[in-house]
Amino acid sequence: MGEAIVITSGKGGVGKTTSVANIGAGLAGYGKKVVLVDTDIGLRNLDVVMGLENRIVYDILDVVEGRCRLRQALIKDKRLEQLFLLPANQTKDKTAISRQQMVELIQQLKEEFDYVLIDCPAGIEMGFKNAVAGADKAIVVTTPEIAAVRDADRIIGLLEAAEMEPPRLIINRVRPDMVKRGDMMDVEDMLEILAIDLLGVVPEDEFIVISTNRGEPAVLDGHSRAGQAYRNISRRLLGEEVPFLNWDSNNGFMAKLRRFLGLG
Amino acid sequence: MGVLKPEAKGRGRGKEIMEHLTRGSPLNRRTYLICRTVRSGQRYKYPGNVVVVGDVHPGGEIIASGHVIVMGNLMGMVHAGAEGDERAVVIAFSFQPLQLRIAGYVSRSPDGEKRKKKLYFREPEIARVENEEIIIEKYSLGGNKDGFKGSRRYQEEEEKNG
Repeated sequence: MGEAIVITSGKGGVGKTTSVANIGAGLAGYGKKVVLVDTDIGLRNLDVVMGLENRIVYDILDVVEGRCRLRQALIKDKRLEQLFLLPANQTKDKTAISRQQMVELIQQLKEEFDYVLIDCPAGIEMGFKNAVAGADKAIVVTTPEIAAVRDADRIIGLLEAAEMEPPRLIINRVRPDMVKRGDMMDVEDMLEILAIDLLGVVPEDEFIVISTNRGEPAVLDGHSRAGQAYRNISRRLLGEEVPFLNWDSNNGFMAKLRRFLGLG
Repeated sequence: MGVLKPEAKGRGRGKEIMEHLTRGSPLNRRTYLICRTVRSGQRYKYPGNVVVVGDVHPGGEIIASGHVIVMGNLMGMVHAGAEGDERAVVIAFSFQPLQLRIAGYVSRSPDGEKRKKKLYFREPEIARVENEEIIIEKYSLGGNKDGFKGSRRYQEEEEKNG
């Protein structure tokens, strides 16, 4: 029996879909059988980020409404054997699927996969409630901006009210240089406000834009800083103790040189 | 379609295509005209032929039981002959569909191919089923035969989608 994890944020554009794609690819890379479920009906994106848009024949609605078997709708990733995608429907809206249908679907997927990662739509309405309904655990994604943190706080409250175990936090798009100057909230500030466990910190990385446009998760690239962060997050989900990377001290040529000379 | 009779000189593929188009039933069906851009999430389903005067964007869907003609860029999904008619064809001014279905055949765009920027300068193409696969080739009525030598074959995902 696998584990269903919903990735949510409240606010849009903080990196839910990117996180789902990268964590999914990360877990599959470590040998787990993973399925990514896009519940953002009407505004699907996960298939585009994964570069699997052209393979969609059936979607989540076809499955829950019995027009096809679950197997037929699952799309195998082009790089990783163990990674599958269940795409959302693009022509309907969030009301097209019921809570009960979602719970049953996730239950069915959990029997076959080690991890079921659910990509949650932005907002706190029906789409969010459906996405959360079938999940065992939650990951909240936020960025170091007050608006995103405020929304994350709201979401954490809703998750707690749903009697789910406390969610874990991913802080996305952190810019160490700005944090250092004091222009951006640092990790400690955010943890203090949100008061949940930290799962990972992902630095701002241009490569995410490149990889998203290419339809290849950054986690598969050995050089990407964000990819490294997502690999660490995947390992933490697998239960490993991975230290948090300290971006501002071990990054950059000058810092390395200073350390080498014994000045850092 | 009677107006668009191929030229008498047409020993080229254009004539063949015209014959292919007019043979059998699809043309006898009604035709629905869509005079707008079909955007992501929009889906048109029609029991007959469909003509789009505009583009079909990625995520847009056209499902017709007859032919589909796109007078613009085809970038979304088109299903011609959706009720099982393998004679149905898809014609578009610029052909870059994410996925193309004719009757029970499905083909998808090649992976890793970058979208061409200058969509409007591409040539019209026609897709149809031949020898149990979807083939896409240059489209020109009554044109010369040379143009049809390089037919572009899309990857065949699966033979039948049932």
